[in-house]
Amino acid sequence: MSDQVTLTIDGKTVTVPKGTLIVEAAKQIEQEIPVFCYHGKLSQVGMCRMCLVEVGTPMFDRATREPVLDENGVQKIGFFPKPMTACTTPVSEGMVVKVDSGAALDDRKAVLEFLLTSHPLDCPVCDKGGECPLQDLTMKHGSGISRFNYEEKQHFPKKYPLGDLIVLDMERCVICTRCIRFQSEIAHDPVLAIENRGRHAHIVSYSDPPFDSHYSGNATDVCPVGALTTKDFRFGARSWEMKNVPSICNHCGVGCNTVLGTRKGGSGTGQLKRVMPRQNETVNELWICDKGRFGHHFNESPNRLTTPLIRQDGQLVESTWADVLPFIGEKISSIKSANGSTALGGIAGARLSNEDLYLFQKLFRQIIGSNNIDHRVGLNANFEDTTAYTVGVGVGTDLSQVGKGSTILVIGSDLDQEAPILYIRVAGASVKRSAHVINIGGRRTKLDAQAQTSAYYQYGTASYLVLGILASVVAQGLVNQEWIDRHATGFSEITKLLQDFAPDSVADTTGVSSAEIEAIAKSYAEAENGIIIFGHEAGNDPALGAAIEALAAVTGHAGKPNNGVIAVLPHANSRGAADMGVVPNRLLGYLPLEGEAGLSAEQMLSGNSIKGMIIAGADPASESDTYRECLQNLDFLVVQDLFLTETAQLADVVLPAKAVAERDGTFTNLERRVQTFDVGIDSPLLAWSDWLILAAIAGQLGADWGYASADGVMAEITQEVPLYQNMAFENLVAPVSLDRQTDHYIYEGMSFTADVHEGIQWATVAENEQQKITLQLVVPENHTGSDEITLVTPRILYDGGRLLAETDVVQSHVFQTRALLSSVDAKKLGLNNGDSVTISQNGTAVNLPIQISRMLNEGTILIPRNIEGRPAERLVGSSDVHASVKVKKS
Amino acid sequence: MLNEVKEAITAPLEVAKAMGITLKQFLRGPVTNQFPDEPAQVYPRFRGRHALKRYENGLERCIGCALCAAACPTECIYVEAAENTDEDRRSPGERYAKIYDINMLRCIFCGYCAEACPTEAVVLEHDFTLAEYDRWDAVYSKEQLLEPNNPEYLVVRDDEVFVKADTWSSK
Ligand code: SF4
Ligand code: SF4
Ligand code: SF4
Ligand code: SF4
Ligand code: FES
Repeated sequence: MSDQVTLTIDGKTVTVPKGTLIVEAAKQIEQEIPVFCYHGKLSQVGMCRMCLVEVGTPMFDRATREPVLDENGVQKIGFFPKPMTACTTPVSEGMVVKVDSGAALDDRKAVLEFLLTSHPLDCPVCDKGGECPLQDLTMKHGSGISRFNYEEKQHFPKKYPLGDLIVLDMERCVICTRCIRFQSEIAHDPVLAIENRGRHAHIVSYSDPPFDSHYSGNATDVCPVGALTTKDFRFGARSWEMKNVPSICNHCGVGCNTVLGTRKGGSGTGQLKRVMPRQNETVNELWICDKGRFGHHFNESPNRLTTPLIRQDGQLVESTWADVLPFIGEKISSIKSANGSTALGGIAGARLSNEDLYLFQKLFRQIIGSNNIDHRVGLNANFEDTTAYTVGVGVGTDLSQVGKGSTILVIGSDLDQEAPILYIRVAGASVKRSAHVINIGGRRTKLDAQAQTSAYYQYGTASYLVLGILASVVAQGLVNQEWIDRHATGFSEITKLLQDFAPDSVADTTGVSSAEIEAIAKSYAEAENGIIIFGHEAGNDPALGAAIEALAAVTGHAGKPNNGVIAVLPHANSRGAADMGVVPNRLLGYLPLEGEAGLSAEQMLSGNSIKGMIIAGADPASESDTYRECLQNLDFLVVQDLFLTETAQLADVVLPAKAVAERDGTFTNLERRVQTFDVGIDSPLLAWSDWLILAAIAGQLGADWGYASADGVMAEITQEVPLYQNMAFENLVAPVSLDRQTDHYIYEGMSFTADVHEGIQWATVAENEQQKITLQLVVPENHTGSDEITLVTPRILYDGGRLLAETDVVQSHVFQTRALLSSVDAKKLGLNNGDSVTISQNGTAVNLPIQISRMLNEGTILIPRNIEGRPAERLVGSSDVHASVKVKKS
Repeated sequence: MLNEVKEAITAPLEVAKAMGITLKQFLRGPVTNQFPDEPAQVYPRFRGRHALKRYENGLERCIGCALCAAACPTECIYVEAAENTDEDRRSPGERYAKIYDINMLRCIFCGYCAEACPTEAVVLEHDFTLAEYDRWDAVYSKEQLLEPNNPEYLVVRDDEVFVKADTWSSK
């Protein structure tokens, strides 16, 4: 039997795959059937009855199974006596569906009348008003009057805080359970439920704290009415008053596509009212995390720098661009002539756009003549990733399609904290589409609940484990020889080295048994598609990157869609910073540097050879006292930033930069997708884009660059960086309207349809038939197991970062400085929740309260990075991930 | 011949009739309204300067829904809403207008705003003396609009006159 089914909907014939639901089939021929509870990404429940249609199927004689024919010899259609829900009924051959028929229209009218029996109809004060499916459908299909008694409406509290970010107005709820299903099926935080029955039914959150999820904002999007709204936007604007501007989230490397809801205020300046997801199935599907949604207030913070500052008599005083720029030029030239160009260095934060970073390296390499540039400060742990260049996930990779037959290996990353939407996608691949997800880490993480396999290594041994997996792949004869011959060299050399890393020999070091290692190796190597996602907690040993690259290559899991490696880097444009060569030892586009490498950020900030620095969008002073001291001792420091950060307070000149919503540019995400963002709101009058500031400084040093706009800079990048040759701005966006569509019945979270796969990935070496990957392994750092406790310092979502600090509503979610300890260790040390401990390492000691966590294994203590007081950085240094520490009750 | 005789009789009559009207107007006295020394008279449904109304208990009727602004063809209304709290309650319910500005220079006094308002908060009243020395002063704030504004120089006539529809059409 064929896999395609042909049916007729309101006279139009459509052919769809077997198993398709009537709603989806109708959508294909643009005959959208009104729905409330149906959502394409969620399971079907058929709760709201909005989608009732008349359904008929060809008639057969019961006895003979012969078709029943009418007088014209055409097979009769037998209609079901009752209407059917189009959202739960799959199509069948020859089916006839009536959507706009009299009976279906009557049903729709009746269902709406029922849904509105207790509805408050307070559209004028409802945040959903103007983009509310209930409004739209009532206007189109509702009866206009109600036969129900107004006095008997059911009442609930109007403003019930369902958690401290989300407000519930139960009177408006149509009990579609989309929010509940989103939380349990997509976010995997099943924190919502319905309590009671019938007219008393209402939504509750049973978690403590209530609505404890990184994804709660999405529930307000999928809610088809104004029952769930965010506290942050509350009454911020009416939906029709806002202009939707396409943007990219700047809080982590996933690069979620967003829309900025902006409104021109009474005074004429734009205001950023809300951030909502913009559909891009290859990046964020329909979702964004709460940090991206609510963490936008830094754009309009009153604490922003508004004018250039210059140090006079030890104080930073307001100045003008015309005064500070020549001064910067003079100072840099004089340091260069007195101490040579290598006495100058620069750090550019990986939150800057590709254009900024390109000009940053051009300024240093071409104009100043120094290779002392780096982007790896803050959360970065000195971690350098080149696996993306060689074996990064293939062009066309779409995690929302990865499913059965694929294996995803997650190594050393708590995705729910480090890259939340990537977590949703990986968990979805496992739960919804049966991909084999293997979660390997030093502790339990949220993904363990969705992963089919979990394994725990001793911190510091991730590279041993990957080498063990690789050795096992070779030993089990699972290598993809044909792929290796085509794309790689050096395979025979690495096999020799691998003999020392057989699963048996690494089992003791890593704490993962050889049987587990072999099973992981088998699953990954035999999978049709294999993806490796590795993160911060796997450590920054160069052996790890080399082993991962080799593992992807020898199994042939690279160079094609849905195969390859993703490094979970910390910042929005960490990938772009590496692409743009903002590292001391590589040029643009991963080209090797001829001659001597420059100094890394770490080296610049701990030695004394550097006399002058430009720091753009980075705050190293807040990270360590050594860095701060070094910055204090500089002859000249220029800082360009949004805020007067701790680093800026040490500067000689501080330059106000534009925030992401105020300018355009591109970011490159973890999957190497280059994406553009647009200007949404006005900046402080005197703030400049970072690329413009850098061009102006270059101008003072004699360069004649003449860039007029960010896309002008990108035009040059397309010439200079072969990887970016297709990345001109116009190629990166799809022409799509972000205006509201009122006849858009299947509302999935935004009132416009924009499923465009915007952005372009650049191709890896593995995809290039002319180039070959040289396989090389590095022997891992010696791991000496210790009896001491291992301190691990992961990245978390709600950390003490400067940008998040400007958003009041999320402050209660920000991690309170404390250390997490396993219950076994707590018992050993005689500690209870809240007790204070002294954690010491190499003469540094910090005192922190502890919290007992069941997610940690024995022998580990956890302090997140980048939290108030920076205890983690003080103990392990800003470039390490873990260290052996002594823990004492204090 | 017959016509000439007819004219000779009717013409003086017509002239006398016309002179009669002139005489009547001549004796009637001036109609000029000595505004502002004397109050101007407006009909009850005259559409002039807006007012934002209150309920009898003093709460503002306006809920900051911005439907007036949406209805306004000249986009001269700007509303920003905020939330009522128990300590600071401006209107019944959850929401009130934090900012409510009308630019009277742009307004065409069509009354669509009043038509759109779900709470009958914004009403076009009778004041038409909206001249200002500075054009920014023509942007009326919520504070101005909420104040009762019944200037002495206006008298609302009670004889609302309905013009019969058929007398409009030019036959
Ligand atoms: S949920 Fe929709 S219909 Fe109900 S009050 Fe809000 S806007 Fe109006
Ligand atoms: S709150 Fe919204 S999404 Fe949740 S059940 Fe009610 S109407 Fe549906
Ligand atoms: S009267 Fe007409 S033009 Fe004037 S504010 Fe109201 S809607 Fe706008
Ligand atoms: S005046 Fe009326 S329509 Fe305008 S914002 Fe206030 S309540 Fe809404
Ligand atoms: S029952 Fe079909 S959409 Fe709700």
